[in-house]
Amino acid sequence: MIQEARASGTSAIFTHVPDDETSARASGDSAESALAFLAEMSPDLRGAAILDGDGAVLAASGEPERWGDDAAALFAAADRAEAEPVEQIHVGTEQGEVFALRHAGLAAVAVTERFALASLTFFDMRMLLRDLAGGPSAP
Amino acid sequence: MPPKPHRVLLDRVSGYADEAAAYMRRRRAFRRPFARLYYGGGRGEDHAADAEVGGELFVAAGRLIELAGQKPKS
Repeated sequence: MIQEARASGTSAIFTHVPDDETSARASGDSAESALAFLAEMSPDLRGAAILDGDGAVLAASGEPERWGDDAAALFAAADRAEAEPVEQIHVGTEQGEVFALRHAGLAAVAVTERFALASLTFFDMRMLLRDLAGGPSAP
Repeated sequence: MPPKPHRVLLDRVSGYADEAAAYMRRRRAFRRPFARLYYGGGRGEDHAADAEVGGELFVAAGRLIELAGQKPKS
Protein backbone atom coordinates (compact mmCIF):
# COMPACT_ATOMS: atom_id res chain seq x y z
CA MET A 1 0.00 0.00 0.00
CA ILE A 2 2.86 2.36 0.79
CA GLN A 3 4.34 1.66 -2.62
CA GLU A 4 0.96 2.32 -4.18
CA ALA A 5 0.74 5.61 -2.39
CA ARG A 6 4.19 6.55 -3.57
CA ALA A 7 3.46 5.42 -7.09
CA SER A 8 0.24 7.37 -7.26
CA GLY A 9 2.15 10.53 -6.52
CA THR A 10 2.53 11.16 -2.82
CA SER A 11 3.00 14.82 -3.42
CA ALA A 12 -0.43 15.05 -4.98
CA ILE A 13 -2.00 13.65 -1.85
CA PHE A 14 -1.18 16.74 0.10
CA THR A 15 -1.64 19.32 -2.58
CA HIS A 16 -5.39 19.54 -2.16
CA VAL A 17 -4.68 22.27 0.32
CA PRO A 18 -2.99 24.56 -2.16
CA ASP A 19 -1.25 27.00 0.08
CA ASP A 20 2.39 26.49 -0.76
CA GLU A 21 3.51 29.72 0.82
CA THR A 22 2.35 28.72 4.28
CA SER A 23 3.99 25.33 3.89
CA ALA A 24 7.25 26.96 3.05
CA ARG A 25 7.06 29.15 6.12
CA ALA A 26 6.54 26.25 8.49
CA SER A 27 10.06 25.29 9.48
CA GLY A 28 11.18 22.03 11.00
CA ASP A 29 12.08 23.71 14.28
CA SER A 30 8.71 25.32 14.74
CA ALA A 31 7.03 22.06 13.77
CA GLU A 32 9.03 20.24 16.46
CA SER A 33 7.96 22.81 19.01
CA ALA A 34 4.36 22.55 17.89
CA LEU A 35 4.47 18.78 18.17
CA ALA A 36 5.88 18.98 21.69
CA PHE A 37 3.11 21.43 22.57
CA LEU A 38 0.48 19.06 21.16
CA ALA A 39 1.89 16.18 23.20
CA GLU A 40 1.74 18.35 26.31
CA MET A 41 -1.83 19.41 25.58
CA SER A 42 -3.15 15.93 24.76
CA PRO A 43 -2.65 13.34 27.50
CA ASP A 44 -4.06 10.61 25.24
CA LEU A 45 -1.53 11.21 22.48
CA ARG A 46 0.80 8.32 21.65
CA GLY A 47 2.52 9.83 18.65
CA ALA A 48 2.06 12.35 15.90
CA ALA A 49 3.61 13.87 12.82
CA ILE A 50 3.32 17.12 10.92
CA LEU A 51 3.79 17.16 7.17
CA ASP A 52 4.12 19.92 4.65
CA GLY A 53 2.13 20.35 1.46
CA ASP A 54 4.41 17.95 -0.43
CA GLY A 55 4.06 15.20 2.13
CA ALA A 56 7.53 15.75 3.60
CA VAL A 57 7.71 15.22 7.34
CA LEU A 58 8.44 18.44 9.23
CA ALA A 59 8.32 16.79 12.65
CA ALA A 60 7.47 13.37 13.98
CA SER A 61 7.52 11.64 17.32
CA GLY A 62 9.40 8.64 15.94
CA GLU A 63 10.88 7.56 12.63
CA PRO A 64 10.08 10.42 10.23
CA GLU A 65 10.33 8.31 7.09
CA ARG A 66 7.83 5.74 8.32
CA TRP A 67 5.47 8.45 9.54
CA GLY A 68 5.64 10.03 6.09
CA ASP A 69 4.96 6.75 4.30
CA ASP A 70 2.15 5.65 6.57
CA ALA A 71 0.49 9.06 6.57
CA ALA A 72 0.68 9.12 2.78
CA ALA A 73 -0.94 5.69 2.65
CA LEU A 74 -3.73 6.83 4.94
CA PHE A 75 -4.49 9.97 2.93
CA ALA A 76 -4.26 8.01 -0.32
CA ALA A 77 -6.78 5.45 0.93
CA ALA A 78 -9.10 8.20 2.11
CA ASP A 79 -8.89 10.12 -1.14
CA ARG A 80 -9.89 7.04 -3.10
CA ALA A 81 -13.30 7.13 -1.42
CA GLU A 82 -14.57 10.13 -3.35
CA ALA A 83 -13.50 12.63 -5.96
CA GLU A 84 -13.42 15.38 -3.37
CA PRO A 85 -10.24 15.48 -1.26
CA VAL A 86 -10.77 14.48 2.33
CA GLU A 87 -10.30 17.10 5.04
CA GLN A 88 -10.32 14.99 8.21
CA ILE A 89 -9.88 11.29 8.88
CA HIS A 90 -10.86 9.51 12.07
CA VAL A 91 -10.33 5.78 12.43
CA GLY A 92 -11.11 4.05 15.70
CA THR A 93 -9.87 0.53 16.37
CA GLU A 94 -9.49 -1.73 19.37
CA GLN A 95 -5.80 -0.79 19.55
CA GLY A 96 -6.12 2.97 19.37
CA GLU A 97 -7.42 5.84 17.31
CA VAL A 98 -5.96 7.69 14.37
CA PHE A 99 -6.72 11.30 13.52
CA ALA A 100 -5.53 13.02 10.37
CA LEU A 101 -6.20 16.53 9.23
CA ARG A 102 -5.35 18.80 6.34
CA HIS A 103 -5.35 22.48 7.08
CA ALA A 104 -3.65 25.63 5.82
CA GLY A 105 -1.39 23.82 3.39
CA LEU A 106 -0.12 21.39 6.02
CA ALA A 107 -1.20 18.01 7.32
CA ALA A 108 -1.07 16.42 10.75
CA VAL A 109 -1.51 12.82 11.82
CA ALA A 110 -1.98 11.74 15.42
CA VAL A 111 -2.40 8.40 17.16
CA THR A 112 -4.16 8.38 20.51
CA GLU A 113 -5.45 6.00 23.12
CA ARG A 114 -8.96 4.65 22.58
CA PHE A 115 -11.85 6.96 23.41
CA ALA A 116 -9.91 10.16 22.97
CA LEU A 117 -12.32 13.04 22.48
CA ALA A 118 -12.41 13.53 18.73
CA SER A 119 -13.61 17.11 18.67
CA LEU A 120 -10.88 18.25 21.07
CA THR A 121 -8.17 16.34 19.27
CA PHE A 122 -9.15 17.77 15.89
CA PHE A 123 -9.43 21.23 17.41
CA ASP A 124 -5.91 21.01 18.89
CA MET A 125 -4.50 19.72 15.61
CA ARG A 126 -6.24 22.44 13.63
CA MET A 127 -4.94 25.17 15.93
CA LEU A 128 -1.47 23.71 15.72
CA LEU A 129 -1.46 23.74 11.92
CA ARG A 130 -3.00 27.19 11.79
CA ASP A 131 -0.29 28.56 14.09
CA LEU A 132 2.42 26.76 12.17
CA ALA A 133 1.18 28.12 8.87
CA GLY A 134 1.31 31.58 10.39
CA GLY A 135 5.09 31.56 10.43
CA PRO A 136 8.17 30.60 12.42
CA SER A 137 7.18 32.63 15.47
CA ALA A 138 4.25 30.31 16.17
CA PRO A 139 4.60 27.84 19.10
CA MET B 1 -38.83 23.50 54.22
CA PRO B 2 -37.11 24.13 50.87
CA PRO B 3 -33.58 22.75 50.43
CA LYS B 4 -30.70 25.15 50.80
CA PRO B 5 -29.65 26.73 47.49
CA HIS B 6 -26.17 25.21 47.55
CA ARG B 7 -27.75 21.75 48.00
CA VAL B 8 -29.81 22.30 44.87
CA LEU B 9 -26.69 23.29 42.95
CA LEU B 10 -24.70 20.31 44.24
CA ASP B 11 -27.50 17.91 43.35
CA ARG B 12 -27.73 19.33 39.89
CA VAL B 13 -23.97 19.08 39.28
CA SER B 14 -23.92 15.54 40.66
CA GLY B 15 -26.77 14.64 38.33
CA TYR B 16 -24.90 15.92 35.30
CA ALA B 17 -21.73 14.10 36.37
CA ASP B 18 -23.67 10.84 36.80
CA GLU B 19 -25.20 11.26 33.36
CA ALA B 20 -21.80 11.88 31.81
CA ALA B 21 -20.29 8.86 33.57
CA ALA B 22 -23.12 6.65 32.35
CA TYR B 23 -22.68 7.95 28.82
CA MET B 24 -18.97 7.16 28.90
CA ARG B 25 -19.66 3.64 30.24
CA ARG B 26 -22.15 2.98 27.45
CA ARG B 27 -19.71 4.39 24.91
CA ARG B 28 -16.97 2.04 26.07
CA ALA B 29 -19.29 -0.96 26.07
CA PHE B 30 -20.90 -0.46 22.67
CA ARG B 31 -18.35 1.31 20.55
CA ARG B 32 -17.10 -0.68 17.59
CA PRO B 33 -14.22 0.05 15.20
CA PHE B 34 -15.09 2.70 12.66
CA ALA B 35 -13.57 4.75 9.85
CA ARG B 36 -15.01 8.16 9.24
CA LEU B 37 -14.03 10.71 6.63
CA TYR B 38 -14.94 14.39 6.74
CA TYR B 39 -15.10 16.75 3.80
CA GLY B 40 -15.47 20.47 3.32
CA GLY B 41 -18.65 21.88 4.81
CA GLY B 42 -18.60 19.38 7.65
CA ARG B 43 -20.00 16.50 5.64
CA GLY B 44 -18.94 13.11 7.03
CA GLU B 45 -19.02 9.58 5.61
CA ASP B 46 -18.65 6.29 7.48
CA HIS B 47 -16.86 3.38 5.83
CA ALA B 48 -17.38 -0.18 6.96
CA ALA B 49 -14.33 -2.33 7.64
CA ASP B 50 -15.47 -4.92 5.09
CA ALA B 51 -15.80 -2.34 2.31
CA GLU B 52 -12.84 -1.63 0.04
CA VAL B 53 -12.05 1.89 1.23
CA GLY B 54 -12.83 1.04 4.84
CA GLY B 55 -10.48 -1.93 4.74
CA GLU B 56 -7.67 0.19 3.33
CA LEU B 57 -8.25 2.85 5.97
CA PHE B 58 -8.06 0.26 8.75
CA VAL B 59 -4.84 -1.18 7.35
CA ALA B 60 -3.25 2.25 7.04
CA ALA B 61 -4.45 3.24 10.52
CA GLY B 62 -3.13 -0.03 11.94
CA ARG B 63 0.33 0.76 10.59
CA LEU B 64 0.26 4.19 12.22
CA ILE B 65 -0.91 2.74 15.53
CA GLU B 66 1.86 0.18 15.41
CA LEU B 67 4.37 2.91 14.58
CA ALA B 68 3.24 5.12 17.44
CA GLY B 69 3.47 2.24 19.89
CA GLN B 70 2.08 2.37 23.38
CA LYS B 71 2.09 5.47 25.48
CA PRO B 72 4.69 5.07 28.25
CA LYS B 73 3.14 4.78 31.69
CA SER B 74 3.90 7.90 33.70
